[in-house]
Amino acid sequence: MNWNKIHTLFRPQSVAIIGASRNPEKVGHVILLNYLNAGYQGKVYLVNRNADEILGMKSYKRVADIKAKIDTAVIAIPAESVPEVLEECGKAGIKSVVVISGGFAEIGNTKLQDEIVKIAEKYEIAMIGPNCLGVMDPRSRVNTLFLPMYKLARPEIGGVSFMAQSGAVGSTILDMISGEGFGLAKFISYGNAASLDEVDILEYLMNDPETKVIVVYLEGIKRGKEFVKLARKLTKIKPVVILKAGRTSAGASAAHSHTAALAGSYEAHEAVFRQFGFTIANDLSELLYYAKIFASESAPEGNKVVIVTNGGGAGVLTTDAIAGSRYLALADFGKQTQESLKKTMPPLVNIRNPLDLAGDADDGRYHDALMPILTDDNIDMIIVIILFQTPGADSKLASEVISIKERIEKPMIVISTGTEYTEMHKRMMESSGVPVYDSPISAMQSLEVLYRYYLYKNHKGQ
Amino acid sequence: MLLEYFKAKGLLEKYGIESVESKYVKNWKEASDFAKGKPIALKVLSEKELHKSKAGLVKLGLEGDSGIRKAYSELETKAAKLKPCNIIAQKIAEKGIEIIIGGREDPQIGKLVLIGLGGIYVETFKDFALRVCPITRYDATEMLDQLKSKNVITYNGKSTEILVSLLLKASKLLSGNPSINELDLNPVIIRENGYSIVDIRVLE
Repeated sequence: MNWNKIHTLFRPQSVAIIGASRNPEKVGHVILLNYLNAGYQGKVYLVNRNADEILGMKSYKRVADIKAKIDTAVIAIPAESVPEVLEECGKAGIKSVVVISGGFAEIGNTKLQDEIVKIAEKYEIAMIGPNCLGVMDPRSRVNTLFLPMYKLARPEIGGVSFMAQSGAVGSTILDMISGEGFGLAKFISYGNAASLDEVDILEYLMNDPETKVIVVYLEGIKRGKEFVKLARKLTKIKPVVILKAGRTSAGASAAHSHTAALAGSYEAHEAVFRQFGFTIANDLSELLYYAKIFASESAPEGNKVVIVTNGGGAGVLTTDAIAGSRYLALADFGKQTQESLKKTMPPLVNIRNPLDLAGDADDGRYHDALMPILTDDNIDMIIVIILFQTPGADSKLASEVISIKERIEKPMIVISTGTEYTEMHKRMMESSGVPVYDSPISAMQSLEVLYRYYLYKNHKGQ
Repeated sequence: MLLEYFKAKGLLEKYGIESVESKYVKNWKEASDFAKGKPIALKVLSEKELHKSKAGLVKLGLEGDSGIRKAYSELETKAAKLKPCNIIAQKIAEKGIEIIIGGREDPQIGKLVLIGLGGIYVETFKDFALRVCPITRYDATEMLDQLKSKNVITYNGKSTEILVSLLLKASKLLSGNPSINELDLNPVIIRENGYSIVDIRVLE
């Protein structure tokens, strides 16, 4: 599918909301408010068979009555009326549509779905849906999601794009993302994937300069072989984090060979992901951890990790996590670092990895400890543990970490565990591009996937 | 459809994959002639039974006329219920570690190639790695890295090259023969310096 055509879904100059409604309980009303109240700058046309005016705006009976150029249409009307309206959209030269309406293949009505696919093909319309939440783009303020604003937070502008078939998982993730420091580039809930499917959408995101990281929640793949073909290119360009549902593979017991009994459909998908450098997440929290690391960190030079902490126990737990990784290793300090630390650290600090700065460590001590580490070639990645419960850790320390982060390329992440006071500083750091994790394991796993992805990318790039 | 054993064996040879010397036998005498005084194995090959060992369709380490005769007659009784089938005599392979190399056509993804800890433990430990064909040398090495049993089946790296080469050949075979639906080489007995394929199953 043509990239520019799909792009009109996110950057329309003008949009027709078909099924716009004055009834606050209707989907078409919520969508209309999303466009009117959230700062969308393009033209909005309302279409409703039974209204001349909605919320003080003119409403048209048919798309054909608008007599102006329309880029995209959002369709939220009963399923049986969709073919007729889509036909009108085609005739009006509309480039893309989002069909929010349900009542197609998901309830067994494949005939009606085939019908709308044919119409979309005839007029070469880029069609998302049916039975979906549609798209969201915080830059253009396009938002077809029929979810009342007060029920979920909306993410900031950023570089992570998220796609899901499922609307429910999609909106949950959206809510969760908005609690993270990284922002959103594009959000796509594509429902039945009748026309545009995962391959089309991934290809679009691959070529979208605003998308730095792709995050996917997947239930199935419609065109497996095309997916494999795309997968070969995709991850060489940008990281893709994927959560695939459907682990139980039915029918394996009927297999005629051991191979078929072992390697069912889920395993086949997983094989593709592994082979082509996707980052596999096992649940929604991993999906977010990994999105976060890729959003802020670039390629590490190697796998050697240093741990700087103000809590001995937390340092040991993190050391254990790194030691348990198949891919990461604990770094040794270079000579210069050792000498510098001997000079700057108080005598109670042991000069070794993990570097325990002790419970009274403040921003100054963290600064002195981190400075030589930043330029130490023996160290590829940095974990800074900050327990904000200690006397020395405060907002000055958080801003010190932020200012150091701004100066380095080396991956550097923070582990902070706690409630309100910690949460406040976590937000502060994350909104400035410092990823913060709440446990040694999630921090280790995130550095591990970062390291492995660039290992793959460097290998395949050669 | 199960591809006839010697057709399958011939197909493997075309791709440079060797398997143990074998022959169909119609009575114990033929089996004994094949053995020439050395130990042999006797097996019933039937499309109807995948788990040969569990079903008692495999007799190993048979030596001398009386042993071969007794084993043959037992297998013949069992075979009667599994027709159409054949009884095959095979030379005994040198000892080693049993692995599985296999493949299948996934209706969505296409041809897949697999390696794992094999023999009777295949479905107990489920320690395997899977990739889409065709694979590269890098993929093959990654597959071995992924296995929990990596150090065991590679003899701490000594047999890595043999395994990588087998995987590349299997991938070529699978890619080159669209009609293959499923392939089992199980077990492949792997040693530090060689391998023996003891059982072949190709389904078209």
